[in-house]
Amino acid sequence: MTFPAELKYSKDHEWVKMLDGATALVGITDFAQSELGDLVFINLPQEGDDVTADEAFCDVESVKAVSDVVSPVTGVVEEANTELEDEPQKLNEDPYGAWIAKIKDISAFGELLSAEEYEAFIEKK
Amino acid sequence: MSVLKRTQLYGIHVAAGAAMVDFGGWEMPIEYPSKIVAEHLYTRHACSLFDVSHMGRVLVDGPEAVSFLQHVLSSNVSALDLNQAQYAIIPNERGGAVDDAYLYRFEEERFLLVVNAANTDKDLAHLNEQIKAYDAKMTVITGDWAAIAVQGPKSKEILQALSGGKAITEPVKNALNTLQFEGHTVRVAKTGYTGEPLGYEVYIESAGAEWLWNRLIELGAKPAGLGARDTLRLEACLPLYGHDMGDDPEGKEIPIFAVPLAKFAVSFAPQKGDYIGRKELEKQYEAFKRIQNRDFSDTADLPRRILPITLLDKGVMRAGMPVYKGGKQIGFVTSGTMVPYYRHEGEGLQTVILEETAKRAIGLAIVDSDTLEDDEVQVDVRGKRLKAVIAPYHMRVDAPPFARPILYRPDEEESANPSGDRVPKALELIGRAVENHVWRQEQCVNLIPSEMTPSRAVRLLCASDPSFRYAEHKKVKSFYDADVFYYQGTEFIDEVEQLLVEEMKAFLGCAEVETRAISGQMSNTAVFSALMDWKNRLDRKHDPKRLGYIMNNHIIKGGHLSAQPMGALHDYIAIDPVTERHALVNFPVCADNIYKIDVEETRKAIEQYRPEFIIFGKSMVLHREPVAAIRKFVDDMGLQTTIMYDMAHVLGLIGDHFQKPFEEGAEIVTGSTHKTFFGPQRGVIGVNYKKGELKYGLWETIESRAFPGSVSNHHLGTQLGLLMAAYEMNQFKDVYQKAVVSNAKSFAKSLKAAGLDVAGDPAIGYTETHQVIVNVGYGTGPDVAMRLERNNIICNYQATPEEEGFTASGALRMGVNEMTRFGFGPKEFDQLANILADCILRGREVKEDIVRLRAGYQQMHYCFDEKQVSEALNGLAKKTGI
Repeated sequence: MTFPAELKYSKDHEWVKMLDGATALVGITDFAQSELGDLVFINLPQEGDDVTADEAFCDVESVKAVSDVVSPVTGVVEEANTELEDEPQKLNEDPYGAWIAKIKDISAFGELLSAEEYEAFIEKK
Repeated sequence: MSVLKRTQLYGIHVAAGAAMVDFGGWEMPIEYPSKIVAEHLYTRHACSLFDVSHMGRVLVDGPEAVSFLQHVLSSNVSALDLNQAQYAIIPNERGGAVDDAYLYRFEEERFLLVVNAANTDKDLAHLNEQIKAYDAKMTVITGDWAAIAVQGPKSKEILQALSGGKAITEPVKNALNTLQFEGHTVRVAKTGYTGEPLGYEVYIESAGAEWLWNRLIELGAKPAGLGARDTLRLEACLPLYGHDMGDDPEGKEIPIFAVPLAKFAVSFAPQKGDYIGRKELEKQYEAFKRIQNRDFSDTADLPRRILPITLLDKGVMRAGMPVYKGGKQIGFVTSGTMVPYYRHEGEGLQTVILEETAKRAIGLAIVDSDTLEDDEVQVDVRGKRLKAVIAPYHMRVDAPPFARPILYRPDEEESANPSGDRVPKALELIGRAVENHVWRQEQCVNLIPSEMTPSRAVRLLCASDPSFRYAEHKKVKSFYDADVFYYQGTEFIDEVEQLLVEEMKAFLGCAEVETRAISGQMSNTAVFSALMDWKNRLDRKHDPKRLGYIMNNHIIKGGHLSAQPMGALHDYIAIDPVTERHALVNFPVCADNIYKIDVEETRKAIEQYRPEFIIFGKSMVLHREPVAAIRKFVDDMGLQTTIMYDMAHVLGLIGDHFQKPFEEGAEIVTGSTHKTFFGPQRGVIGVNYKKGELKYGLWETIESRAFPGSVSNHHLGTQLGLLMAAYEMNQFKDVYQKAVVSNAKSFAKSLKAAGLDVAGDPAIGYTETHQVIVNVGYGTGPDVAMRLERNNIICNYQATPEEEGFTASGALRMGVNEMTRFGFGPKEFDQLANILADCILRGREVKEDIVRLRAGYQQMHYCFDEKQVSEALNGLAKKTGI
């Protein structure tokens, strides 16, 4: 289980990488992909979609189930990672490299933890 | 709080790190650390293990066991032979399913019924209630015997490592066997829930379960959980109770006939009496037949059916999602998910399965019965309407050892009609025909056992007048059976045909011969038709009765295509009303030599089935047929059986060096005149019935089923050529037959010495015919045969009796007859054997060696090479302008 130090984490198991003050990449954590199992499909958000912190903005599908991905920030989708359309397994293989969306015009954040705090949070589960 | 049940293998799953879930009250592995996708792919590619010990296993026995089972199951239990299994549904009074199940007959008097884990309690309650009316007993053995499914192309190999190389079961679906795996008794069924063409379910006493699982892992199998079990069965379009059977997403009961497999599982045989649900099922069946004929006027008894569905837009379909057609809801998805598969490239036999994988969203849906294949539909996936299509199937298994995913693709564009000036096309055709002739006649070594090059004399005659004429003729009683011809200009061919009949009588050693059939299979059709006509000759006022029981060689064991229901026997073989199957029994073969008929077991089979017709003969043939021994049994038992020998390949070997069928007791012989016989491609029928015998009437019927039954024009050119070939055969048969049989043995010996795996009994020189069979490795036959062809060696890939089908062929079938005619002897066959070994075993390119070898053997033997004859033929060629 990995927890890159430079990222921020939500209790819903997403990670955030700030690119500048109001833009960030978001994705799901190593813990999330391991819990979800082989991901076979992702319903990506659309460019221009509004996203709100603590609300689902897209979903991922494993063989057995569909799971919501909760946005860790409030903003607008600038770009979705379309590579994941044909290769959803990248979310399992490289959860921190396989970003899901680039969010711009960020106006609010959900509760975000540091790598250490998130690791501790996981351990308690 | 109820505790979940655990199978005999629970500890192993936990130790392997499996994610455990509650499945029907059992704590079962949904996936191992390898995860569902990898487990699915490994099954299709190699071999997976599934713990299926949670399923309910019940033994049923007692004096009325069969009656009880006939009452509670949809299938025809009387049709279940020993060492066979059948799929069955447990119906309720309403024509819905209580459960689906599998019935196994490992023992003569005892049946094993296996049901779904989630329904076991419900099933047992139902069955225990029903059994009260019968003198029968049920014993639950779920805890006493474990069950492990071993599925995938490598499954047979892996299990054979445990059986010490012994065959696991007959290579047909639903075959059973009881055998030893390294000292442990196991019951094995060639069944499974993955759709794999190679796959087995192994039952072992609980104490041996862990040992077996671990041994299989050691041998290369990998564990797979219930998650992969579901994706695999979905790809195979197999129903899952609770999704595709039982209740639909709206809670309505799904009629049994909604499921495509119902037509195999449901029987209305009279022995089943008024079984549970029969009346409702009969109504559903009538509706099913109407629907199959696209008559949708009355679908009340079967309003919806379960069909395969493929998503065309990106997304995943899941159970419960509504399906729409043209804006109207037509049903629901009953099973659906994303399923991985291996990509392939190439076409036909050249298809190569790649390592690259992909995924597709497929499923099963219950939709209105007027929905057709290729109908475009929409699936509501969480509020979005995605495009989908009704597919015929998602996977096919007619090319073992692999299951082949079939991706949906609409029909290709029709190709344009040919057009333009045909002169250049004619020139090209001639050029290519010359090329082909030179290649095959001068540069190849031809080892196809069913082929022969006829002599120049035969070929010239075949192409001369009367090759394109008519000479229909029939015996007329008013003229004391003289032949009356319906055409003019037929004096010559009339003489020729009479001479041919006399030559063939002399060659075959029989009383009467029919020469008008233009192929071996046509000869057989005429005989089958005559037998059926003869059988019904005293009652022409009712539908004629078909023939049965018939005894033949099964095609898997080398029997002729012609003698199978899929061949010439198709319209003549009866259905046994008790088993609802063809009234056919196959010759049993020796356990230690699958190429040889087991005479003692055959006697028992004849006693049991009392066949009215026995057909000897094989296309993959190393031994004489035991005609004399079987004739003796039939006579001793006082049976009126007609004994026929379809000699096909070996017609040209009739004589002292092989067999004399009529002397041994055959009444009818058919054959191909172009395999070991020297003729052009035709057929012939010989019988030993003499005037005055009762069965002489059968002979007269054979004549009329030849003409006008099978032919109008009987191809006079090749008939003329055949007379010349008959002269050649009768002149040279002793030296030729001796050379063929001794060359075959010599070739076999040389191949063995060169390191190849020659089939057959070494004690008798491997073969008694013109054929030699070489094992080259399971599934590699087609590749090896293609490689040999590129090296100018032409022979057949051949599935042996242990292989599931022609794509899994592991052998080559070769014949020495044609090359013997071109002068090959032991020395040349030895040289050839070494070249073959070089190519097959060491992958060397040997085309140059073959061309050089063949170049020295262009001269044909066993034909008239006297100067006078050659000059006469030159005259014929000149006169005919050929």
